[in-house]
Amino acid sequence: MWFGTILAAVGLFLGLFIGLKVPIVLPESYAPYLGLAVLAALDSVFGGIRAGMEDHFDNTVFLSGFFANALFAAGLAYIGERLGVPLSTAAVVAFGVRLFQNLAIIRRHLLKK
Amino acid sequence: MKKTMYISLLLAGCVLGIMLALQFRSSTSSVPHDRPQELTQELKQLEQDYQILQAEAADLENSLKQLEQGSSQTYEVLQNELQKLRFAAGLEEVTGPGVEVVMDNMPEKERSGYDPSVFSITYEDILRLVNELRAAGAKAISINGQRLVATSEIRNAGKFIDVNLTRLTTPYTIKAIGDPEKLASSLNIKGGIVDTLKEWSISVTVTPKEEITVPAYTNPLDFYYAKPLKEGEDE
Repeated sequence: MWFGTILAAVGLFLGLFIGLKVPIVLPESYAPYLGLAVLAALDSVFGGIRAGMEDHFDNTVFLSGFFANALFAAGLAYIGERLGVPLSTAAVVAFGVRLFQNLAIIRRHLLKK
Repeated sequence: MKKTMYISLLLAGCVLGIMLALQFRSSTSSVPHDRPQELTQELKQLEQDYQILQAEAADLENSLKQLEQGSSQTYEVLQNELQKLRFAAGLEEVTGPGVEVVMDNMPEKERSGYDPSVFSITYEDILRLVNELRAAGAKAISINGQRLVATSEIRNAGKFIDVNLTRLTTPYTIKAIGDPEKLASSLNIKGGIVDTLKEWSISVTVTPKEEITVPAYTNPLDFYYAKPLKEGEDE
């Protein structure tokens, strides 16, 4: 478990390093979509951590959820933009609520130990 | 099982890191993403303002043109008035039909035995001639290129005659603009000035001309002592 956490942190720093070094600058108009994708990915990660603490972590569910949620959030935001409906708000609220729920559960698990 | 989990964790962390970094970099570059909309709105507002201002400018330009027209009309009237006054004051070179009178003393050889000063032209002769010309309606008169104006004098200065404080010598050429026939006949009338001068052995030739040019008064115009008295200002 701890090795997994360390590995995840290492992956995070590696990604940050790559992201800061890669000579691609995201166009301004895509920033909100990527932000939503980040939010969805964070939600997946915390969901995975929680699943790991509850001992029913499923690698496939985690990976598919991670990418599908990120892509879907960004896509939803894009569709909302096209339709003129602020669907990104819905995604933000949904993922935000879940994020905090997951955090709360993780906190409880950590406190119980 | 464990291995794939670690790989997936690493992968997820990596992707999350990349996304975070990209997002961080893009959002640190100052301009907010809804800037275009803001700018579009601003542009629309400015375009509206521009149109309003342009209409205003056209309006103002119109009124300026009208004012200019008005002022140019006044200017023209004033200019005409000024021209007239300059003409009347003798400050303009004028041309027109008139007569040219040349007066000269008789050659000294032909009047030997006399005191030459007796038979020479005096200022009075010229004064009388000018007087005759004015009486016959001459509009502009010059003597040897000196235009006669309101302040001009004709007086003796030793052997010479001063006009406009300028010394003149014989022959005296007097140019007068007016009706040529009238001017000539007023001079040539029997017992008139030409006859009188000829009696005094002064040669006088009067030639009517179709076109004659009288120069402008060129001396400075200074009114040191005279001040205009405004209307209603009694002293």
